[in-house]
Amino acid sequence: MPAEEMGKASRKLRLAFAISSVVFVAVLAISPLKDYFAPWRQYKRAYARFANTRPDTKRLLADYHSGIDQIWIPELKVVDRCTTCHQGITQPSLMDASVPQPFRAHPSIPHHALDWGCVVCHRGQGLATEVREAHETTLGWEQPLLPTHFIQASCGVCHQSDIPETPQLNRGRQLLVDLNCFRCHRMNVSERIYVPPPDLSNIGHKASREWIYKWLKEPRTILDSDGNVVTNGYANEPRMPQFRLNDAELRDLSAFLSTRQNEPLGSHQIDPRIVAAWQKKPDVADQGETRFRQMFCTTCHAVAVTRAGQTQLIGGNIGPELTKIGSKVNEDWLIAWLRNPQSYFGYAQMPRYQWSDEDLYKVSRYIMTRLTDSDLLSDVPKMDPPTPAEIQAGKQLFVGKGCANCHGIQGIKAPKEFGPDLSAVGSKTVSELMFGDAKIPHTLVDYLRSKIENPTSVNTTAAMPQYHLKKEDVSALITALLSMTRRPDAPAFAKLVVRATPSKFQPAGQFGELYDRYKCYLCHQFNGYGGTLAPDLSFEGSRAQKAWVVSFLKNPQTLRPASTFRMPQFNFTDAEASTITDYLEMVMQSPQVNPNPDNSSKTSPELVALGKQLYEVKYQCQSCHTIGATGGYVGPNLSNLGSWMRPAWIAAWLKNPQALVPGTIEPRREFTDQEIQALSAFLMTLKQTPTSAKAGSAAGGSR
Amino acid sequence: MKPRRLCLLLAVLALALSGCGTKKSTAQPDPLLHAYDVEPDWSNPDHLFYLNYQQAQGKRIFYDKCVWCHADSTPAGPSNRSNLNPMPALANDGSALNSLSDDYLRNIITLGGSAVSKSAMMPPYGKTLTQDEIQAVIAFMRAIAQPPYQPPARPGPQYSTR
Ligand code: HEC
Repeated sequence: MPAEEMGKASRKLRLAFAISSVVFVAVLAISPLKDYFAPWRQYKRAYARFANTRPDTKRLLADYHSGIDQIWIPELKVVDRCTTCHQGITQPSLMDASVPQPFRAHPSIPHHALDWGCVVCHRGQGLATEVREAHETTLGWEQPLLPTHFIQASCGVCHQSDIPETPQLNRGRQLLVDLNCFRCHRMNVSERIYVPPPDLSNIGHKASREWIYKWLKEPRTILDSDGNVVTNGYANEPRMPQFRLNDAELRDLSAFLSTRQNEPLGSHQIDPRIVAAWQKKPDVADQGETRFRQMFCTTCHAVAVTRAGQTQLIGGNIGPELTKIGSKVNEDWLIAWLRNPQSYFGYAQMPRYQWSDEDLYKVSRYIMTRLTDSDLLSDVPKMDPPTPAEIQAGKQLFVGKGCANCHGIQGIKAPKEFGPDLSAVGSKTVSELMFGDAKIPHTLVDYLRSKIENPTSVNTTAAMPQYHLKKEDVSALITALLSMTRRPDAPAFAKLVVRATPSKFQPAGQFGELYDRYKCYLCHQFNGYGGTLAPDLSFEGSRAQKAWVVSFLKNPQTLRPASTFRMPQFNFTDAEASTITDYLEMVMQSPQVNPNPDNSSKTSPELVALGKQLYEVKYQCQSCHTIGATGGYVGPNLSNLGSWMRPAWIAAWLKNPQALVPGTIEPRREFTDQEIQALSAFLMTLKQTPTSAKAGSAAGGSR
Repeated sequence: MKPRRLCLLLAVLALALSGCGTKKSTAQPDPLLHAYDVEPDWSNPDHLFYLNYQQAQGKRIFYDKCVWCHADSTPAGPSNRSNLNPMPALANDGSALNSLSDDYLRNIITLGGSAVSKSAMMPPYGKTLTQDEIQAVIAFMRAIAQPPYQPPARPGPQYSTR
């Protein structure tokens, strides 16, 4: 090969060498450059510059270095690098909203970030070092951040019993139970009072085929012009959802149900002399209405009242709403039910009242003639008597549509695992969800919202029925669902789970029978078990004087006329009243209150005068409490306190109210012992004859 | 490295980030009037305040303990406010409360009216609420104030990317 050519070739070669090494160097340089320009480094430097503008620069930069920061907690398997960018989260001076993100301090919460990391609560990706990967769902990372509106879901992962700081989660958990979600879906629900939907083995006695048809089509009786359930802020949850049933299905189901008469109807005869005496009187329904109100049925049952064109439900939500009940039920059934609800189905939660035939007749006449709607069934097609084919088809639908999951009928078994397992729904990744044609963002939260608001939105053939829920209840449900996650696999987590403590209070003996009969626990708390509508009775024996309890049970009207919710008039017999009173006195005692005090009755005119002065001038208790005609409505009326409460209770209460009733709104004060004596002495002089009682309380005397 | 460039980069980043932010919020914060972390403006119910963690805890405590005297409608219906003499400020009354410092509010809530030579009708909450809870209530009252509350100017210039 000629030298010339060789030189040419080597020049070419050298050129190639030069080019490739330039490329090589460039390629090598990209990586450090990329690293230098990595977003997290920009944040690091920006933080340093930001800190330099603050007065406490030194403290803000005390732990500063140029690399990646991370919180590492091996026991919890937490490796969170969030603090690489969120550098100020533990700096109290960076708390306020003028500090730009991502540098703002975390608000102070009971769990410190350095002990728990970030992802435990906020979810997202602790290991990611890019903004999008840390916060959102990406190809590589499935777990996005939890929107803060649902952050209480994370509290619920460990706190399986309710805590006051998480109202939205608590509400959601309550709804999962109340709305019977757990009857179709597998999930862990905490122990709470649950009233199962009625057993339908005898529904044929209760309602007509036409009414059943209507109810299955539109379960609510009170709808506004848009077809929404009118609740007006009253917590009247429509527990029966709407199923998408066509006319043939409605006919079959109503045929099947209206023929369910497993057992004969309970006693429904009213003394014919009473009927004869009252039948013709024009005001029998009016008198029935008066009794209905006096007995305080509305404490548990709401009735719609229309005033000035506005329909409002007035009353409680412990029992069903009754506005149109007269167009639903058969009068014989109604009488049998009122007399003995448990004869219709054993676990009925309605108390068994003591009725006179006269009252029973009047009230049932009121219900059958006034709580009605003549148009209710006007759009129900004419139906012939049920045929065996219809009944058979209805029976299959009853199981197939999921009715049997909530309602019992003798001889019918509910299918197991009817709905999908939701026990770890909070850990579902987006790729596990089917969005169908729904035009919604592809996130778990949006999926759940869409599914709850309209089950067919993500799956046109969904079996789940339609619930009508308020927006905030949908949020509450989403929160509760998101709290049900797969356990993080660190063993240390298992120790963190604070279990719900089931605590059923079930007294025995004579009192136990009355407790079951009158369902005291639906409204009152007993040692942590029971409803919250009425005062906690756990320490009633230490609080109230015996004679007062007896007279209250006999005539509960007089305590708080200002409230819509009052103790119903159960018409207790003397023997029942004394059984209840004795039990409360013997058993429902607070260890903080000495049952046999010797000095609390110590009193003198001077002490009383001092107490009065303390009450009116120094502490101005009248800002919340009423005596006679003057005072506030926050706490209970004290006009009759001297005949109501025990002196030892009053003294203990003044010392530390929260020790007796945790969470009571009465502020705890620092009274001296002498002040407590004087105040008790004064308060014990407050007495009133029952007829002049005029009481009122805005916050409820229960608190 | 040229700080100008960096700023540009940061600005672009911030834009991109805020882009993500708005994308997320198309998931729509519902008008959750009764949600725990939303409070309607008392003087204009169509306007909502979105509350952070601390303010939301404050809301919970406020509606338990304070609402009876510091609002005109309460969860139980009637308000006790007009019963009182002096009549307490509404909790959102910025014209009365904005000029009072956090320290002053913490004092009157902790020690009661009489301790700061105000009416004894304002009870002390120092033994009923923790200091964190009291701070949360103050944060809530600040959040719903109308006219809006402006925190006192911070010492030192505010941060900006410039
Ligand atoms: C029993 C009624 C009552 C309750 C309950 C109550 N306050 Fe007050 N509050 C008052 C009264 C009355 C005043 C006015 C004192 C005065 O101006 O002399 C007041 C004043 C105040 C002030 C000072 C306003 C000012 O203009 O100086 C604040 C702050 C305050 N209350 C906060 C609270 C908080 C927070 C709660 C709940 C933890 C609460 N209050 C509960 C009655 C009450």
